[in-house]
Amino acid sequence: MEWAWLIPVFSFVAFPLIVLFGKPLPGKGAPIAILAIGGGFVLFWVALLGYLNVVPGVNNCFTSSATGVFTCDYRISWFHAGLPGLEDSVELAWGMIIDPLALVMLGMVTFVALMVQIYSLGYMKGDPRFSWYYAYHALFAAAMLTLALADNFLLLYVAWELVGVCSYLLIGFWYERPAARNAAKKAFIVTRLGDVGMLLGILLLWREVGSFSMLDAFEAAHNGVLNQGAATAAGLLLFLGAMGKSAQFPFHVWLPDAMEGPTPVSALIHAATMVAAGVYLVARAYPIFMASGDALLVVAVIGLITALLASTIALASTDLKRILAYSTISHLGLMMLSLGALGYTAALFHLMAHGFSKALLFLGAGSVLHSTEEQDIRNMGGLRKPMPLTAFLFSLGALSLGGIPILAGFWSKDEVLSAVSHNMNPIFIVLALFTALLSALYMARAMFVVFFGPARTHGHRHSHPIHDAQLSMAAPMLLLGVLAAGFGLISFNWPGSYQGIGSFLFFKEHEGFHITWWIAIVSTLLALAAFFAAYLVYVRQRISLEGARTAFAPLIRVVENKYYMDHLYQWLVDRVVLVASAAIALVDRAVVNDVGVNGPAEVVGRVGIAMRRHVTGHLYSYALVMTLGLIGLAIFWWLRAG
Amino acid sequence: MDFFTAIEQSALFLIVLAPIAGALLTMFTSRERPQDAWHFAILVSAITLALSIFIFVQYDFRAGGYQLTHIFRWLGYPLDINLSLGVDGIAAPLVLLNGIILFGGVLVAQTIKRRSRDFFVLLLALGGGVFGVFVVRDLFFLFFFYELAVLPMYLLIGVWGSSTDFGTFRRTKEYGAMKLMLFLVAGSVLIWVGILALYVQAWKAGAPTFDMSTLAEMAQRGDFSEGLQRWVFPLFMIGFGVLAGLWPFHTWSPDGHVAAPTAVSMLHAGVLMKLGAYGIIRVGMELTPAGAEAWMPVLIGLGTVNVLYGAFSAMSQGDLKYVIGYSSVSHMGYVIMGIATLHPIGVGGAVLQMFSHGIMTALMFVLVGAIYDRAHIRDINVLNGLVKRMGAATFFFAIAGLASLGLPGLSGFVAEFMVFTGAFKEYLPLAVLAVAGAAVTAVYILRLLARSFFGEADPRWAHLTDLSPVEKGVAGAFVLILIAVGVWPEPLLRVINTGVASLLKVF
Repeated sequence: MEWAWLIPVFSFVAFPLIVLFGKPLPGKGAPIAILAIGGGFVLFWVALLGYLNVVPGVNNCFTSSATGVFTCDYRISWFHAGLPGLEDSVELAWGMIIDPLALVMLGMVTFVALMVQIYSLGYMKGDPRFSWYYAYHALFAAAMLTLALADNFLLLYVAWELVGVCSYLLIGFWYERPAARNAAKKAFIVTRLGDVGMLLGILLLWREVGSFSMLDAFEAAHNGVLNQGAATAAGLLLFLGAMGKSAQFPFHVWLPDAMEGPTPVSALIHAATMVAAGVYLVARAYPIFMASGDALLVVAVIGLITALLASTIALASTDLKRILAYSTISHLGLMMLSLGALGYTAALFHLMAHGFSKALLFLGAGSVLHSTEEQDIRNMGGLRKPMPLTAFLFSLGALSLGGIPILAGFWSKDEVLSAVSHNMNPIFIVLALFTALLSALYMARAMFVVFFGPARTHGHRHSHPIHDAQLSMAAPMLLLGVLAAGFGLISFNWPGSYQGIGSFLFFKEHEGFHITWWIAIVSTLLALAAFFAAYLVYVRQRISLEGARTAFAPLIRVVENKYYMDHLYQWLVDRVVLVASAAIALVDRAVVNDVGVNGPAEVVGRVGIAMRRHVTGHLYSYALVMTLGLIGLAIFWWLRAG
Repeated sequence: MDFFTAIEQSALFLIVLAPIAGALLTMFTSRERPQDAWHFAILVSAITLALSIFIFVQYDFRAGGYQLTHIFRWLGYPLDINLSLGVDGIAAPLVLLNGIILFGGVLVAQTIKRRSRDFFVLLLALGGGVFGVFVVRDLFFLFFFYELAVLPMYLLIGVWGSSTDFGTFRRTKEYGAMKLMLFLVAGSVLIWVGILALYVQAWKAGAPTFDMSTLAEMAQRGDFSEGLQRWVFPLFMIGFGVLAGLWPFHTWSPDGHVAAPTAVSMLHAGVLMKLGAYGIIRVGMELTPAGAEAWMPVLIGLGTVNVLYGAFSAMSQGDLKYVIGYSSVSHMGYVIMGIATLHPIGVGGAVLQMFSHGIMTALMFVLVGAIYDRAHIRDINVLNGLVKRMGAATFFFAIAGLASLGLPGLSGFVAEFMVFTGAFKEYLPLAVLAVAGAAVTAVYILRLLARSFFGEADPRWAHLTDLSPVEKGVAGAFVLILIAVGVWPEPLLRVINTGVASLLKVF
């Protein structure tokens, strides 16, 4: 297990190798990245088994008194800020923490990254920057795995920013397209705004605790060294970072635009892993949030607002990838809601179930895009015939996220709803159930329109016949499909030593898996009703939505315009930020330079010219001045004397 | 062995002597073969680079204090002016920085065709002056070397610079050179007044001297009254601050960059601006600590203005060099803020930021110079899709840009993080603004990358060629340094930490 640091290092090493030597190699360097992440996946299992079998008290492992979790912590010195031994000096470390939370992230990230990298072999084939694509992927995997392992907040921040820049590079991968360039820029800057808060939160924790180590911070939160006010402030500041990365309202605007990147990137980074980093951060720093009830409430409220808003937009969107993107935002909101409602295990369970299902959906969408070169669902239909495998797997993912029983998403969503109903005001559960209904509706809509509805003939752009996914693309989808279908089953207390995900991920108290029956029944009924309704509308076309469309036209327009959030931000940038910037630049030129600098120079010049006039060389004028001066002095002397 | 000790004892003297003697000798190279001057300057700067590496490696961070000290007696009582040399943990990394940048600057100055001999004479003299300031322990010689570093700029910009018409206004090289000169000389006057004030005060205390170590001891003993320090420190703060780009005295700097040729811009932003910050530390804080303590709230306020004002100004610039020039103003703000925290982490961050920003901004100017040499334009709204033609330049510029916006893994992050940490402890509201400033940096850097470097290839720029091998080598080396310091800053930081710790003992 002490070798777990190699998991990210493999991919870190792969990055420069591909950049420098990738092009001439067979496969243009892609095998290096895949081997690196594959090695990471194998090592993850080694680390997991090592963790399960380790004896307490050895190998840097102990049961944390702050969290009650059995934790292993390994670190080496990175750098010293301030001379060691002096007051306030602090040592920063390359350190990794191994506990169930880190292992869960490791397993999911290595697996999904491996799947997506294999899938990309087919998807990105022939791209002129194929090597760069894999280099970025390797760097992303390395940074994301470091993020999951980091044992101190600064290292977490380092990895956090690095995944951000990889996301930037991959969204803007096809930078010839202005939309991709702008989306990349937008994603980086919007998340960076959140990161400002996060860095301040980290500094605040350092100021209060005197260390960047997470375990020290948790200890301080546990024994009250970190008082409630500071915990609230630190929690909220950290949450700002989480809101940026996890696209929570009002920072959500970057994620739909991020769909300009290659679709496998959307699957890996903008659905399954990086965007979940915000949820991971809140989960990681949970003791700090627990020490402050207010911060948790904010997390819950923001999560609920995000989930609701995003699911309505998903319902109005017509772009297949954007539907999935808004669905991701909505589900991330649900995870945040769950964390805020003390549903810690539920949130992480949903994080995984959603990750597998959404990655599958995106890879399915990628398969459709790859084959039809079409992204607007209004131009799709009946694709079940030409691409049966994709249709089957996509439907599996959609049903899972829609909450159809025994699929993964059903169990995890149910856990979330259960936590909300137990710990929150009833209004939360009502709205959460409504979100679940919407979630099933938009999933059903996407699935039925694209694959089952009547085939559309317009959009005859494809030069080649529509085909199903090739093997390198189909195999990863199949594996993800297995997880999207069966992952929920690991949550039960199966006989034997294994205690279910709840006890593996426990926090504070053993929180095993438990079903709240009325919620399970209500949410299942809602999901079934949604799928049935969508079936009637989009497949059988028994019900026409025209009436509803006209009745609610103004409302729909608002939703279709994404509640005008993008307009608002654009206005802020154009009318406030850029105007302020131009004003400052103008002041610098006109006031500081032209008045402040050239002004005195001008004055000196003019004075010189004026003075020159008096230096005439005429003796009589000098004599006149001298005489006047003498008279003046005489009067002065006379006045003083008098 | 004997040779080694001899070098060790005279390393500081040699590193000042080599470029100045080199400058004198360059005068004797053939006028007919301008390449000779370049080759000779490469030789000289390679020697100084080797010496600077030697000095940095030789500095024992465990022992701390001033090392490699040497003194050449010159004028005795009552003037007591001696060439006294020595480096501490703050000076050693800056000596290394100057060695690197001078060498890189000379290498890329291959493109200087007109009167290249005179160019290298002045460039080497400037480099020697900078080394002198960093290693000298005597106020008189500090001032002397300071002027030696500053004065060649006038000719370097005025003769080899370029004039640009920006539509609404024009910036001629003569204007840029004159403005720079007047600002820096005005700053020098303040510094000289401050130096004389300290000398006179030392005389009154019975021991007239220009020796900085003695003066620092006197300051600690309380020979300089608090009242005196309170009016002397601002002289140093503003006098040196002008060179550091302290707001509102920064305005010479962007205009100077726009007019200056590449190698001069590299030294200007890479090391000259650091001289100013170094002067505030070395002279202001060390000799008038009580004054420094009283004025630091003002200084950190101005530093914060630097950060935000520079960043917002950079956002609206259309000229590549203006963007980087204002970005330097913004980044020097972090240096000023770090110094003004008087906190070990903050000041350490400031010194690391000097090193990091020096390399980063020199790298940017190498690339902008290369682009300007080829396209003869620096307008970011006209340049487009350079990545197609200048892939290597784009790659290096992207890394420099990411370093500039504080991406972890590159040197700027560690430095800025330390500045934030120190500021957060001492001046929380300003630290919040400074952290936000880093987000503003992201806006103008990404905008620049998206507009000029990425985007569709423009047929107008189809004739551009990528970096020459020399340019690639210099830029590649700078990038490696940025990454090395970002990933493993400890070799620099352990030296800086000792220097900062003894500097802050009095506070």
